[in-house]
Amino acid sequence: MVIEGFRRSCVALLSVSVIALGVQQPALAGVVGTADAVAATRTGDPRATVDATLARADVRAKLVEFGVDPLAVEGRLAALSDQEIASLADRIESAPAGGDALAIIGIVFLVLIILEVVGVIDIFKKT
Amino acid sequence: MTRRGLAGAALASLLAGCAASPPLKDGLPESAPPAIELAETPFFPQEDFQCGPAALATLLVASGVDVNPDALVPEVYLPGRAGSLSLELVGATRRHGRLPWVLDTTADEMVEELEAGRPVLLLQNRGVPQIPIWHYAVLVGYDAERNLAILRSGDTERLEMKWQRFARAWHQGGRFAMTVLKPGEIPAHAGPARFIEAAAGLEAAGQRQSARAAYESAISRWPGEPHAWLGLGNVALADGDRAAAADAYLRAILLAPDHAAARNNLAELLLDAGCLDESRRQVERASALAEGTSLAPAIADSRARIRATAEAVSNCQLGDRTWPD
Repeated sequence: MVIEGFRRSCVALLSVSVIALGVQQPALAGVVGTADAVAATRTGDPRATVDATLARADVRAKLVEFGVDPLAVEGRLAALSDQEIASLADRIESAPAGGDALAIIGIVFLVLIILEVVGVIDIFKKT
Repeated sequence: MTRRGLAGAALASLLAGCAASPPLKDGLPESAPPAIELAETPFFPQEDFQCGPAALATLLVASGVDVNPDALVPEVYLPGRAGSLSLELVGATRRHGRLPWVLDTTADEMVEELEAGRPVLLLQNRGVPQIPIWHYAVLVGYDAERNLAILRSGDTERLEMKWQRFARAWHQGGRFAMTVLKPGEIPAHAGPARFIEAAAGLEAAGQRQSARAAYESAISRWPGEPHAWLGLGNVALADGDRAAAADAYLRAILLAPDHAAARNNLAELLLDAGCLDESRRQVERASALAEGTSLAPAIADSRARIRATAEAVSNCQLGDRTWPD
């Protein structure tokens, strides 16, 4: 059931990305995007710019490495500007990833109890 | 440090953090109402590790998008990190045609966005600095008298949290907070630069309709911003509306005669329209202006291509305008 649903969303996503790929082609090749123009005004330092293609390839590889379905990767990359991709390339391993607080608290608590029972720590002392 | 020492340090910092920030009513802007609750905000109880998709779905649905957390999982969830990165929440918002507005790092802007009727997604550290437990929750209101933040969080539909505890968890989460704007909406507390950059993010993501609405709002609020006109020109050009694009680029250049990007894009448009002499003149100007900036390589490419085409016979289809020097 769940797998079937997941497969269906993957297929839907793939078709959407394929359609989007067609639509997102800029009308003219040499047009400078507003994000790049804004970035150029702000940094003013050509050394501050990164190779956008290289950074995208880097993030693409890392997303797959972190378990993202390869079919879903292109759509995720396309939603981010070059500047954001550059920031993600640097921080994908270390940036905070919001998950499920309750589950992790449970795991931490379980580990503490096990350490307590085997006598490594002694923090649940009855007094 | 021994294991017990570590646990002790963690406990100490937890206790120290509790006393840090002031009660809500001391920090509330004077104009703000004493209490707000966006009770209509939908609620999606999170499944395992899925607070990112659940919190983002809450904001998107509140802004009128038809979506649910399951559909957002393949857009934001990063299995190898057992969570979602805030930048990907920003990206996914764009994919649904909405403008992601990342708030500045003071709580004031959160309050202003709530006043404007928009729930605020934020990243919290529910653990301690040494052992972070990252969690996304949605702020839907506050009560200054009772000193409470009101949240949609995890599997709790209405979580009341003491304001200081809420503020500390947000502070330790790096103070990331965002809202989701409908096309054309301008945030409560926006300067032109930040807003135009956010609109440019929609343009870069290929969301032309929403980008156009954002640029139009920016222009009606700040008509003197050349980047907003550049953006409007870019989306018009991408939609094939040459005349509107030409007018928008012209406005950008009239406002900022040294705007290299606007001149480059105007040159591309003029080339496409068969106005080779003008195209060449504009790209030469753009190329000189872009020297030493990060735009130089892209504009050099344009210049080379336009020069190569310039030998063809000029057949200007936009000859009824006077182009700037």
